[in-house]
Amino acid sequence: MHEPETLGDVLAKRGVSRRGFLKYCATLASLMALPPSVAAQMADKLTRATRQSVIYLSFQECTGCLESLSRTHSPTLEGLLFDLISLDYQETLLAAAGHAAEEARANAMRANSGKFVLMVDGAIPLKDGGVYSTIAGRTNIEILKEAVPHAAAVIAVGTCSSFGGLPHANPNPTGAVSVGTLMEKGLIERKPLINVSGCPPIPVVISGVVAHFLTLGTLPELDGYGRPKVFFGDTIHDRCYRRPFYDQGKFAKTFDDEGARNGWCLYELGCKGPTTYNACATAKWNGGVSFPIESGHGCLGCSEPDFWDAGSFYAPLPAPRAPLSAAAGAAIAVGVAAGAAVGLAGLYKRKKAQQAHTKLTVDDLETEKKP
Amino acid sequence: MGTSLERGIQGFIEQVDRPTASFFESCVRCGMCAHACLFYTETGDPKYTPIYKLEPLRRVWEREYTLFGRIKKWLGLSKPVTEAELKEWEPLVYDSCTLCGRCSLMCPVGNDIVYMVRRAREGMVAAGVAPDGLKQAATRAVKIGSPMGVQLPALKTQIAKAEKETGLAIPFDKEGAEYLMVLSSAEIIEFSEIIPAAARIFHAAGVSWTFSSDAFEATNSGIQIGSSDIATELVSRIVRAAERLKVKYVISPECGHAYTALRWEGPNLIGRPYPFKVIHIVELLDELRAAGRLKTEGMEDEKLTFHDPCQLVRRGGVVEPPRNVLKMVASNFVEMEDPGTLNWCCGGGGGVSSNERADELRLKVFSRKKTQLDQLGVRTLVTACSNCRDMLEDGLEHHRMDIKVVGLTEMVAEHLKQ
Repeated sequence: MHEPETLGDVLAKRGVSRRGFLKYCATLASLMALPPSVAAQMADKLTRATRQSVIYLSFQECTGCLESLSRTHSPTLEGLLFDLISLDYQETLLAAAGHAAEEARANAMRANSGKFVLMVDGAIPLKDGGVYSTIAGRTNIEILKEAVPHAAAVIAVGTCSSFGGLPHANPNPTGAVSVGTLMEKGLIERKPLINVSGCPPIPVVISGVVAHFLTLGTLPELDGYGRPKVFFGDTIHDRCYRRPFYDQGKFAKTFDDEGARNGWCLYELGCKGPTTYNACATAKWNGGVSFPIESGHGCLGCSEPDFWDAGSFYAPLPAPRAPLSAAAGAAIAVGVAAGAAVGLAGLYKRKKAQQAHTKLTVDDLETEKKP
Repeated sequence: MGTSLERGIQGFIEQVDRPTASFFESCVRCGMCAHACLFYTETGDPKYTPIYKLEPLRRVWEREYTLFGRIKKWLGLSKPVTEAELKEWEPLVYDSCTLCGRCSLMCPVGNDIVYMVRRAREGMVAAGVAPDGLKQAATRAVKIGSPMGVQLPALKTQIAKAEKETGLAIPFDKEGAEYLMVLSSAEIIEFSEIIPAAARIFHAAGVSWTFSSDAFEATNSGIQIGSSDIATELVSRIVRAAERLKVKYVISPECGHAYTALRWEGPNLIGRPYPFKVIHIVELLDELRAAGRLKTEGMEDEKLTFHDPCQLVRRGGVVEPPRNVLKMVASNFVEMEDPGTLNWCCGGGGGVSSNERADELRLKVFSRKKTQLDQLGVRTLVTACSNCRDMLEDGLEHHRMDIKVVGLTEMVAEHLKQ
């Protein structure tokens, strides 16, 4: 186990200035739409906080989420912060192996019971007793059943643990489900759950959620899918820099036509931006360098439930998605008719006014004193 | 026939075109236009919010053109716009709007607010509710030929003086010349240096040009008071003269609204395209520079800045030409805060400086320009609009600032290669 070193000590050791850290906190605060005053509080709290114990369980997953989070190719403040939580169990990163590793998990769970944050990465298979994914001879569901009751909160990292993801895709041979589904079915204990979806999720979203928990002691406000609203509040489409082209009806038709070269909207090439809630268009990837649409490919919709089963990545979204009801159709017809009638009446009225126009001359202008 | 409330309301109804209706429909009442308008920022009075200045027009639109407005009117639930209300709005529509267009640029939903103010003035003037100063200026423009009452002999005197000063013959009524030069009254009376300056530059660059004795006044009081009928009458005079002399270009002088009237409103007013092109004198100087025909020597070395005339940058998009030209003759040119299309208005455009009632207000809101200038600490301010120049000089004097105002064309003329 680690010494109870504070985050401030560690940051100082690593040569991170207080100013740099404040800036980072301000960025996080503004990303999460918290008032600016929170940035200083956040920095203060984080500096004095002892490291939050985190247990990170990996189930049916590809380690892409962990890659995204650790981002070893360029150590950033997010990376540092990630180091600075007390990551007590993460089998990919753990130096220990075998029994020693399992013992570390048991120890951390015991020592921080009721306080640790449980991060879950990957879907959980239920079919055939859950035999399709086991660690140290125990099924994923068994491990989860044991860990969840001791956790303060559960963060489902990535689309697999949030919504089932790739393992859940039709025909779902392993019977994979998400953490949320397990809670709903009563198979594991209900705990505060936050879904940080994405395949993989954006690193800053994870560090933002962790920082929020450390500073304010609560989870951020969630949307209907249990995702933090601050990051999943808008669609990619609403925040896309190519949106003006959509509004003007300028679409790329192939990946190598003039429209594509001009950077027009990728809607007709199957971009799922309009139905996908995530922060890619604003937070971007690789330290703010770019995001898929900026690189010329449409959004796959990876942070949405069942994105694998939503048809081809290259088929344009149907618009509208749900068939119109007869009532809605009638309402539209009435609205269009009324609008057209008012519009025509307006045109007629204006034309009449124009015909009635008599030329204004300076002789019409009465002034109080004559020039 | 005179003016009347009925005529005014009829004017509003006539002015609500499709853009205006969709602008009113799409206004989200965010108030960002207030922060774009120097009359609001310098007074803090919310009545100066640009979109609020359009309230009478908006009410007429709602009552006459929208479904709910018509139902309300039919049920007697909405009141018609009254003469008293028009009188109340007169200072908002005329005294506190220079038609500078900064609000249009800032509007997040893309409403062209200044376009609507221009239209609202059509109704106001038809109702007879317009400042006396503007009514008188328009009357003088139509009857005498210039809003300031300047007549041809005055111009001829100034031209004779310029010919003596430069030793150059200044062409008059020369048929087949390439360019027809028109002026603003202020350039004939107050800033007549422009005449010898233009003569010397055009001579040096080999430009074939002429004045016309039928049309020398470029300003358009019709645009300022907001009467398309009067504006058409005034712009037609220049069109007729240009067509008679068979020129290829008409040069808009250093005057902002004259440029807008000639360049943008003119063809719409007369209802057909011009057989010639309109070019601002600064654009012409820049073209001559690019073609290597404008050769200068020496530099102004003291720190100076450039005031962008609103009509030139926002309505006309002429941002780079004055800078290109200025950099030929000034070694220490610094930009003001918010330069180019975002520049703050001097406070005297759009007829405000012809309206005595607005004098106090326009000098008050000059504090915006003062702030911009104080940040730079310059002693020389260059501009390319005689109306801006007039206002800048007034404002600088009022605020006791020791800054000299220079027209760009004259500055270039002083550095012509001998």
